Amino acid sequence: MIFNKFSIRLSLAAMALLVMSSCKKTFEKYTANPNQPATVPPSLLLRSILNDMYAEKDADGNTMNTPWGQDERDCQFTISNYTYYDHNDYWDGVYHTQYAGLSYATLTNVLNMEAAAKLGAGGSDLNPYHALGKFFRAWFFVNMSLKVGDLPMTQALQGTSILTPVYDSQKSIFIQANKWLDSANTELAAVIQKGVFEFSGDTYYADLLGNSSTPALIKWQKVINTFRLRVLTELSRKAGDADLNVAAQFAAILGNSAKYPIMTDMSDNLQYVYNSVTNRYPNNNQVFGTQALRYNMSASITDSLASFNDLRVMMIAEPARGLGFSDTSYRSFRGAASGLPLSIMAAGVNSNSTNIYSLIGRHRYYEGLTGEPTFLLSYPEMCFNIAEGIARGWATGDAESWYKKGIFADMGFYGVVDGANTVIFQKPSGALGDDVSYTVNFSYADYYAQPLVKYDAANPAHALEQILEQKYLAYFRNSNLEAYFQWRRTGVPGWLQGPAQSGYNNGGNIPLRFQYPINESTVNAVNYKTATQSQYSGNDDINQAMWIIK
Amino acid sequence: MSKKTNCSRGILLLILLFPLFTFAQTVITGHVLSAADQSPLPGVSVTLRGTKTGVSTTVDGNFTIKAKNGDVLVISGVGIATKEITVGEEKDITVTVSTNNKNLDEVVVTALGIKKETKRLGYAIQEVKAADLLKAREANPIDNLAGKVAGLNVGINQEILASPVVLLRGNNVTFYVVDGLPINSDTWNISPDDIETFTVLKGPAASALYGNRGINGAILITTKKGAKNKKGWTVEVNSSNQINKGFIAIPNVQNQYGPGDNQKYAFGDGLGGGINDADYDVWGPILDGRLLPQYDGKVDPNTVYTTTFADGSFFKGHIKPTPFVARGVNNMQHFLQTGILTTNNINMSSVSDRSNVRMSVSQSYQRGITPNTGLNKLNFNLYGSYDLSSRLKVEGNLNYNRQFSDNIPDVTYGPNSIIYDIDVWMGADWDINSPDIKNYWPAGGGAAGVRPTFAEYKHYQNPWFVSNEWLRGHYKNDIYGYINLNYKLGRGFEAQVRSNVTTYDVLRTEKLPWWAHPYSQEYHNHGNYREDRRSLWENNTEALVKYNGELGNSGFSLFAIAGGNARNFKYTSSYTTTNQLITPELYNFANSVNPIQSWNFNSNMLVLSAYASVDLTYKKYFTISATGREDKSSALPLAHNAFFYPSVSVSTVLSDYLNLPSAITFLKARGSYANVKDGGTTPYIGATPTYLNSGFPLDYGGQYFSTYGGPAYNLSTPFQSSLGYNNLTVANSPANIVNPNIVPATYSNYEAGVDLRFLNNRLGLSTTYFKYIKGPLQALAKISEATGYTGYLTNTTKTDRSGAEISLQGTPIQQKNFRWDVLINWSTYREIYKQISAGYQFGRGYNVHNGDRVDLLVGNVEARTPDGQLINDASGLPIYLPIDQAVGHGDPDWSWGINNKFSYNNFTFSFQFDGMVGGRIQDRVLRKLTEGGRGANTASGKMGQARFIEAYHFGDPGYKGAYDANGKAILAEGVQISNGKSLAFDANGNVTNFKDLQFATNNTATQWVQDYISSYYNDPQHTMTSKTYAKLREVVATYSLPTKWLGKSMISRVDFSLVGRNLLYFFHKGFKDMDVDQYPGRDINNNANKEYDFQTPTTRSYGFNINVVF
Repeated sequence: MIFNKFSIRLSLAAMALLVMSSCKKTFEKYTANPNQPATVPPSLLLRSILNDMYAEKDADGNTMNTPWGQDERDCQFTISNYTYYDHNDYWDGVYHTQYAGLSYATLTNVLNMEAAAKLGAGGSDLNPYHALGKFFRAWFFVNMSLKVGDLPMTQALQGTSILTPVYDSQKSIFIQANKWLDSANTELAAVIQKGVFEFSGDTYYADLLGNSSTPALIKWQKVINTFRLRVLTELSRKAGDADLNVAAQFAAILGNSAKYPIMTDMSDNLQYVYNSVTNRYPNNNQVFGTQALRYNMSASITDSLASFNDLRVMMIAEPARGLGFSDTSYRSFRGAASGLPLSIMAAGVNSNSTNIYSLIGRHRYYEGLTGEPTFLLSYPEMCFNIAEGIARGWATGDAESWYKKGIFADMGFYGVVDGANTVIFQKPSGALGDDVSYTVNFSYADYYAQPLVKYDAANPAHALEQILEQKYLAYFRNSNLEAYFQWRRTGVPGWLQGPAQSGYNNGGNIPLRFQYPINESTVNAVNYKTATQSQYSGNDDINQAMWIIK
Repeated sequence: MSKKTNCSRGILLLILLFPLFTFAQTVITGHVLSAADQSPLPGVSVTLRGTKTGVSTTVDGNFTIKAKNGDVLVISGVGIATKEITVGEEKDITVTVSTNNKNLDEVVVTALGIKKETKRLGYAIQEVKAADLLKAREANPIDNLAGKVAGLNVGINQEILASPVVLLRGNNVTFYVVDGLPINSDTWNISPDDIETFTVLKGPAASALYGNRGINGAILITTKKGAKNKKGWTVEVNSSNQINKGFIAIPNVQNQYGPGDNQKYAFGDGLGGGINDADYDVWGPILDGRLLPQYDGKVDPNTVYTTTFADGSFFKGHIKPTPFVARGVNNMQHFLQTGILTTNNINMSSVSDRSNVRMSVSQSYQRGITPNTGLNKLNFNLYGSYDLSSRLKVEGNLNYNRQFSDNIPDVTYGPNSIIYDIDVWMGADWDINSPDIKNYWPAGGGAAGVRPTFAEYKHYQNPWFVSNEWLRGHYKNDIYGYINLNYKLGRGFEAQVRSNVTTYDVLRTEKLPWWAHPYSQEYHNHGNYREDRRSLWENNTEALVKYNGELGNSGFSLFAIAGGNARNFKYTSSYTTTNQLITPELYNFANSVNPIQSWNFNSNMLVLSAYASVDLTYKKYFTISATGREDKSSALPLAHNAFFYPSVSVSTVLSDYLNLPSAITFLKARGSYANVKDGGTTPYIGATPTYLNSGFPLDYGGQYFSTYGGPAYNLSTPFQSSLGYNNLTVANSPANIVNPNIVPATYSNYEAGVDLRFLNNRLGLSTTYFKYIKGPLQALAKISEATGYTGYLTNTTKTDRSGAEISLQGTPIQQKNFRWDVLINWSTYREIYKQISAGYQFGRGYNVHNGDRVDLLVGNVEARTPDGQLINDASGLPIYLPIDQAVGHGDPDWSWGINNKFSYNNFTFSFQFDGMVGGRIQDRVLRKLTEGGRGANTASGKMGQARFIEAYHFGDPGYKGAYDANGKAILAEGVQISNGKSLAFDANGNVTNFKDLQFATNNTATQWVQDYISSYYNDPQHTMTSKTYAKLREVVATYSLPTKWLGKSMISRVDFSLVGRNLLYFFHKGFKDMDVDQYPGRDINNNANKEYDFQTPTTRSYGFNINVVF
């Protein structure tokens, strides 16, 4: 043959080279993607990170976050009664994935934010983004670890340079988280002290404070220490561990408010505020038809509030009119057990005359577009965490006083005042907005004087339970899975489970953890095996207890 | 200016560098022409009698041979009458021979538009005459190719303007080439009246000269040119008119039970103010004439009407209850209208000694079967050629296509869909033709504050309102054209320079009216206006040198080409939407309540290519072809952006040199190998925001995918910016890492085949076996998300796709007046993973292994005991395995088509059956109909019995569910766990603890039938079926007026045809809500899917066609 393949190729390539050298610049220009940036300022990444703190996703990418996501069913606040749309099963792998959604992608944003900020700050790490970066590490690693247990941390986030990162123990993650939080607090104090910095993209505080940076960072410093109190509280079962030193850290924070400022009132809450255009409350008048009858209140929260004669129940729920009591009778408020067959609950909300389960408050949650702010970390929770720490003997102080602060701060959030209150319900057979209102008198003193509510100082075990119960009430529709984590850690409130409650496919049991992302068992197999072996006898099982609750 | 010119200049230079060859002198030159039409006959054997010396005629019918005076030349070949000529003084002879088979089919168009003899091709190719597609038309011209080519499966999508899936050996092909130059085609811009032939290049060996673009084969289009006749001109009129009527696939619904949930329904305000009167299912009370408040009941504000239900509950309202009866049986049939498809074409051509001109105008109108939908198309085609000298010829072609519609339907799942609004979620209680529904505006009409009447106001829409007010416009200009300069250099050399443009601009609009309430917009109902604009421009400029001649006396002849191409590509798009309208019916961006949202996307691409091809033929024994192409593409990373595509093929006509049994007229064996690369581009592009990772801004409906072929930018890892909280820009780090050394995906294709003809061409058989080793492909390997990234884009996966095609062509009867021709096509393919990266999964947790089929379908599967009994939970609902399991394959086992044509004097009658066997699909319409309680199946058999018991015993004291008189739960199946244990699963989802479990027969009925059925039928086991089907695709009966009748009139031919399409559809009973035509295996992105979206019912089509030639 005249040509062989090789010589054709060679000559074509040589000729092509000749032609193409003149077009080199065009190639360079066209190869770059003109539509998306190769570098971004740190503020754009900060916005994304802050949103991820709120918008928790499961491993399938579904939004789980409270309000309205799967977290809300898992925390037994509201219950689905309609098989077509939803289920109340925990993550048994059938209706809801059993694999944890993790936040490593968000942490990559944190790394890139820090790098971009360093560039912008002339190579200095003394900038707000770097300080907050440490907080975000603590926040996300703690939340991830509470879902699964041990996780890659020291070898994580290295891209292709470590494709199979080893797992760090849950204990070392918590030790590291406390260190990060401590140095985040120190660094942020230094940044505030320095006073000159570039800080934007803070949708939680700065934007609402009129783009005012220093006051916003002061709020963030409180968030860091308040979050640290939550982290220490999560370690209640490991309070005796010398490496962790829970009590001393807890006491140190409470004992030095100048060094460790914490939240002082509801204005300090780390919360997601909705708007009517782009970020609507998940329940709103645009989705009323889809949602309003398909979910009802759970007994876990409704029946507790009703038994306490707690006016908050009338703010968040509708009376179950089929029970035959007046609209403002606490006996009209009743939730369903989370494990009930959906069929039976559907019958219980089907019409006013057979309505034996409360629906969530239409006036509060459905009439508008913005609902209520959703706490990620709240002042009431902090009060209860402090009360819990003191009750557990980690620090000295007045547990009852913090307990009361927590209760009444949360009541304030729902607009429950000491005296005459207006409660608004949708009329029986009324349309959305077709409401009836009542005046109900409520006395803080009378409420608190009830034996069920009054801090039982004489019985420390009961007192602790009271704190936890009230903390659960204050978690209603907020703080992602915190209510579940508390139940898992303390058993409070006593959630309904068991084979008789047939809604669960997991043998009627509430699972104790999520499984690792499904890829870990194949792409990081050796480390995954070691981790499951050391924690769960080699079985990545949703019903086994992790270190922190052992 | 400068850069492009530089590039083109460089290519020219390249061609000039192409080495010259030496060649032999000839003694006698000649031409062989057909006696019938004076057309040149290629491939005819010319031998010296009594010697072994012989040559074949070229594509142009020419030959040269050494001979002396008195030698006898024997002219012979397939399908021609052998003729002998004695050589005299003349050195230039013309031989006219009579052909005994008009369908010689000896020359076909190959890559770059080069005509070659089929006998010299080493790869599979099949040709379809466009004339066969003009009579019984589909709205989309490519749809007409269904069943006509072995290995080509056309997924006909009956939705207006939907792109068909065009699978060549299972790969979706989007590569269309007109007269040698690539065009960008959505397939709707092709005008079959202006096409002579479609040539299907089935594999990469055939299309390797196109480099990357020919990776999945190609569809070559040869445009019509003027035909020579005595008059010097021809005018032709073709009119095709069809109606669409008579459903072959339509949802099958029940009309016994009305809307509502759990046996209760009362209309309050249609917004949730009644009992289950908003976003309900069709699980309400029996439509037995009981009195219930309904949407059209009389409102009396002074009277309170109490409706009491069987369970003792009641509803009080001001609407006077009226009989609850099935007023709307067959609402869908009554809503849909007769579709119309008309196409009229007039073309004129003129041929002179030096010129050839053809002008053609087509107009096409399609009225959809959904009211107020349709499509108009105009097509203008111009071809001209002129011989500037005996050596220099210039020719050009321009095609302008305009598609326009003020409303195309969108039937994909959602409130925009008539299937959703009439059949799946609405009952038979309302009548679609009732005046208040049909004239949906209450008195006052149309203005803000007046809501269109319907039976529900939260989730579902009045179908008339959707069709008349919620409008989706489509306006597209599509142009392609080329100019070609051809110069005969002499001594077998020829040079060619050509350049084309293919460009489109499209505007898609959506007018969402006030009171339309898609998801999440139940209350405001303030409508929106959207514009999706896309514009694409592409130019290919090519220079080519060809050589054709003998290599001395060696017996070798050579056909060689070398050339270069520069491809310039530019795409721009934008998508803009209002955020609620201030004033209704004013569709303008200035009329937005909240700030408008807008996105844009731009891309550019330059591909420079050089290529060469050599065909070496040794006497009559064999031809070896080798091609090579080097592409350098800006869509690939700079470091690795140039790649080589080689191919080699061999063919040998054994019947030319072996003594074969006389029954065998022709026997050819062929084989080929090609290696092609792919990467950096994507064939389709969706709405602009989707491409920018901002998500599709609509939470309903389908998005438009237009043909693209430009840079995918998937090999770069920029930050992804989008709009976040409070409409502020947020950025996210890339989710994937790209291997910096990534190279294009590579496909190796091996192919071998045999072409056989028997009994003087009465029977022909063509078979091909092929194998593609695809890979390493560019694929996203899963990595531990703890690395901070979820995927690693690198060269990993390998697959093996192999299959076969068989075409059988025959003329069982051939008599003086009567003839029967038949063509049978059969094909099969199968693709399996040869190499797969760790952690690669399908669905939820199904780990893909080597050896698994690529088209594997997975889904959630019920847990079963070792002896196969369904395991239920305590409430009587099935338990599912936590990991998806294999539930079948998407690709068909094989596909087939049979065409028959009978001719008797002036009558011809043809019909085509085709279909496929195997492959599975989940029937989404059936699944939703069943879940929603509207499916006919929910009111018959066991489900019907349970429903009936519930309806009659609902409200009985202690009623616990549907049990029969013996206490047997009617719908309960299988077992329940009786010892309080739960199932444990391994990592593959298998139950691991059967030894710990005890089972008891399940006799638990759910309180409500609806809960059981919507759970039980929401899985692949109960709504999946085999895709095996057959269709009577096409029937054409034509009568041609006898020539003698036309006499000496201006008219030279008149054909009148009666046509039918889709006349019979053979498919499983119970699944005929779905026309599986459009699911031939893979989707346009080459993915196999378990379940597809809703589809408009499909109909039969009937009509007539008139063709007049002047």
